[in-house]
Amino acid sequence: MTGTTGSVLSASGLRKEYGEGVALVRAVDDVSLEVAQGESVAIVGPSGCGKSTLLYLLGGLERPTAGTLELAHRRLEQMPEAGLARLRRRALGFVFQAFHLVDELTALENVELPALLAGASPRTARERATDLLEQVGLEDRAEHLPSALSGGQRQRVAIARALANGPAVVLADEPTGNLDSAATTEVLRLFEQLHADGQTLVVVTHDERIASTADRLITMRDGRFVDETKLTGGTQRTVAEIAGLDG
Amino acid sequence: MGRLLLTWRLAIRDIKRRRVQSALLLLMIVTTTTTLTIGLALHKVTDSPFARTRAATRGPDIVAEIIPPPGGAHDATRGFAPLVHATGVAAAGGPYPLAFASLTARGIDVRAEAEGRDVAPATIDQPALTAGRWVRPGAAVIERGFADALGLHVGDVIRLNGRPFGVGGIAVSTAQCFYPVSTPGVIWLTRRDADALATATQPLGYVLSLRLADPNSASAFENGNAAYAFGNDTTNEAKTFMTSWQDTENSDFKVVSVDQKVLLIVSTLLALLAIASITVVVGSRMAEQTRRVGLLKAVGATPALVAVVLLAENLLLAVAATAVGVTIGRLVAPVLTNLGNGLLGTPPAPALTGQSVLEVAVVAVAVAVGATAVPAIRGARTSTIRALDDPAHPPRRRPSLIALSTRLPVPMLIAVRLVARRIRRSLLTAASMTIAVTMVVAALTLEHNDQVRRQVSVIGTTTVAGRVTHLVFLLSAILIVLAALNAIFTTWATVIDSQRPTALARALGATPGQVTAGLTASQLLPGLLAACLGIPLGLALYQLAGGHVSEASPPVPWLVAVIPGTLIAIAVLTAIPARIGARRSVAEVLRSE
Amino acid sequence: MAEAAELPDRESLQGYQLRVVREVLLALLAGEASHGYQLRARLALALGPLAGALNDGQVYVTLNRLEKAGLVVSERVGQADKPDRRVYELTPAGRHQVTEWLGDTSWPKPAPAEFHLKLVAAAAAGLADPVGLVNQQRRALLVGLAQAQRAALAEPDASVAALLLEGVVLRLQADLRWLEACARYWNEAKERR
Repeated sequence: MTGTTGSVLSASGLRKEYGEGVALVRAVDDVSLEVAQGESVAIVGPSGCGKSTLLYLLGGLERPTAGTLELAHRRLEQMPEAGLARLRRRALGFVFQAFHLVDELTALENVELPALLAGASPRTARERATDLLEQVGLEDRAEHLPSALSGGQRQRVAIARALANGPAVVLADEPTGNLDSAATTEVLRLFEQLHADGQTLVVVTHDERIASTADRLITMRDGRFVDETKLTGGTQRTVAEIAGLDG
Repeated sequence: MGRLLLTWRLAIRDIKRRRVQSALLLLMIVTTTTTLTIGLALHKVTDSPFARTRAATRGPDIVAEIIPPPGGAHDATRGFAPLVHATGVAAAGGPYPLAFASLTARGIDVRAEAEGRDVAPATIDQPALTAGRWVRPGAAVIERGFADALGLHVGDVIRLNGRPFGVGGIAVSTAQCFYPVSTPGVIWLTRRDADALATATQPLGYVLSLRLADPNSASAFENGNAAYAFGNDTTNEAKTFMTSWQDTENSDFKVVSVDQKVLLIVSTLLALLAIASITVVVGSRMAEQTRRVGLLKAVGATPALVAVVLLAENLLLAVAATAVGVTIGRLVAPVLTNLGNGLLGTPPAPALTGQSVLEVAVVAVAVAVGATAVPAIRGARTSTIRALDDPAHPPRRRPSLIALSTRLPVPMLIAVRLVARRIRRSLLTAASMTIAVTMVVAALTLEHNDQVRRQVSVIGTTTVAGRVTHLVFLLSAILIVLAALNAIFTTWATVIDSQRPTALARALGATPGQVTAGLTASQLLPGLLAACLGIPLGLALYQLAGGHVSEASPPVPWLVAVIPGTLIAIAVLTAIPARIGARRSVAEVLRSE
Repeated sequence: MAEAAELPDRESLQGYQLRVVREVLLALLAGEASHGYQLRARLALALGPLAGALNDGQVYVTLNRLEKAGLVVSERVGQADKPDRRVYELTPAGRHQVTEWLGDTSWPKPAPAEFHLKLVAAAAAGLADPVGLVNQQRRALLVGLAQAQRAALAEPDASVAALLLEGVVLRLQADLRWLEACARYWNEAKERR
């Protein structure tokens, strides 16, 4: 089943199983998903429902037990590791819950890493990284090590890193999972901005606030999609109207 | 009691969990203890057995021989008369008849020199028995070196000039050098048996032992009386020989000393390198030990209990390794200590006393305790959170290296950054690789020395040279095995340590091939350093241990070949664990953080 | 499954809490007596972002009612008898009311009892699947949350508006959690039958 022409990411019947026999666990069970260019999709669900696993499958970091997956018009499920890596560096940006920044590199060096790994020249990579840090509002922290940054700032650096190679899709796994409320707002703003700039996003989260920046919200439970809600559209209301809602 | 059980369980479970690592470590320690055991055993073969044998056999100060030409048969002992009455002579033994016969034993034909002796013990030069009984009619006593060479034991049957004789005993003497320093080999028979071996073509010769008033004047006596053309039977052209005990000792010692020198060199090398390599290996485990200390503390263990658990685990390994190593060493050592044949004091039985075992055990335990003490102390002092959060040394930042790496192709970028993030570990790796290369170079030097020795050896006959060569080869093999194990352990530990950064690199788009190449290259960098350092170090160490490098340094092509050889070996040894690691799912690694 | 769930349109005036406006007016007067027009200005300031829907006339209507209730007295100043020209002042009863309002710690209804009863009734009468109702409500709340969150992002960071909207968002989140629990409960109830 090939995706519609506009879809950047297309999955059908994805399944991921661990263990066998009595101990068989279906982390992802028959999931199908279409993400159009510029669309922002949020996947919510309780912890352990398999949403992180799904994201890793979409990103080619895990191999599905069954099902097909197409990213940027390339089929992923049979691709060899090297091919997946190359595709990842071209078309994907990943944001992790634990940030996974390299501790001994500055923010700038962290952001330029994917470009360097893709073979860009040092100067190009450095320029791009500087631009991205500016885009996320951290240009004055470029020379700081991750240990000198707050949680929210670290995740913003991670987001900048995810954008380094101009990916078709950014996949985010619980991006605010390790953040406090204020930092969450920082990251929220950034995701809004990315979405407004036309970046295709797939965010996995159990925090509905992050999910609310998406166009579509999909609910996942026990490895399956159980519900889908469109979040955009509807009349715009004033603060007063919104605040007056509560009893 | 409960605590003891808990400690035991924790230690065992942890060993089981890291099966591969524990097995590798065990193997390394076993090799080390074996090596140490052998080294110590060999080191003991240094005292001078000659003096002891001389005292025990009432060895002569001067030995004089007259060998008549074929056909000459009459009383040649008349030639001894002037010697017996020369100044400085305190006593004389013999003369004893000497028959030269063809000895056949176990299918081998060889020339032997048979001395006819009295059954009663002589006052000068009474060979000391190491097995069996003294001469009896029909029974021969074989000189020990000779017996060893022929593989003879008491009770075997030999043929002398075709006539059967039993091997009644085996003895040592300082009247002549041991076989094969002195040829033909010596056997002792009763006078009658010896006389009976004389033939027309090979008449009896005679040997006389002298004790001087001043044993130290033996050389002077020899010089002074050589002109005293004893055996004044010029018409018959009998051959005459005179040897002082110092000459004999020197000849003996020359061989023994060379062998002993080799043993000394090798044993020192083995001991030093074994200890160095195990220290490096243990040192590289410190980091993870600190983390485990933190984990144990976090679940409520007191610092004391933590230290005990760590200690128990390391001791378990150390004790097991010591036991195995000592056992293997015990079996291997006798093969090597069977030198000094022909001289008392170097029994063929393993020179392994309780003291040796204790020494090895002490080293093993010391290493185990040392490996525990540092992380335990550190763990007790730092807070639990710190111990859990950052490993013993968080990765350091080297801006210059980072900047440099950006200009390199991706595998080299990964390699340089991997080295830069843990400089200390890289240095440790380089150190252990240097040790490995040193071992290899030392082995090469030994091997080459041995070859040279065999070529230029004056006394060398196949047996001695062959045995020493055997020795050298075996020990070189041990060195190389130790080196290889060292290398495997180090590279494997590095691969484990760099799991997270390499997984991240793969998530960001590096292919498994690039990552494997990067990991391998990160090991080649210290490897290159190690190869360059190891060559001069290996030669220097050889010299330090007593060898003379100048007289037989391995040819330059050999030495130069060590560099690419090392690099290839490292590349192979790293590529395998690296490849295995690169296959592991990225998600798994990242999620476990 | 992908339905666009819309919130029912409510009349902004009706949605406004007149009682709250009353209390605020009384409190403002406790500080000092004010002219009508001043009071209107002060009220607008105090309400901040919530002032948008406030009708001009509504203030005077409220003041009138307060006067009738005996909580406020007004005095004509000058010739014209326009409400905005009168001076208003609190009575002792009014002052007492303000003190009570400030000291009142009651909090809006903690549990959406009405919704709960909806589910119970639907289940009892076999009218609808409670789980379906829960999902429907959930979707509505999600849309509401999204709106509130977006509005919050549009406001400057440390502003009062952002603060208010954060309150809305957080409460909706809490409600969503409860709805999850409802779904679990009613699912199990279904299975037990």
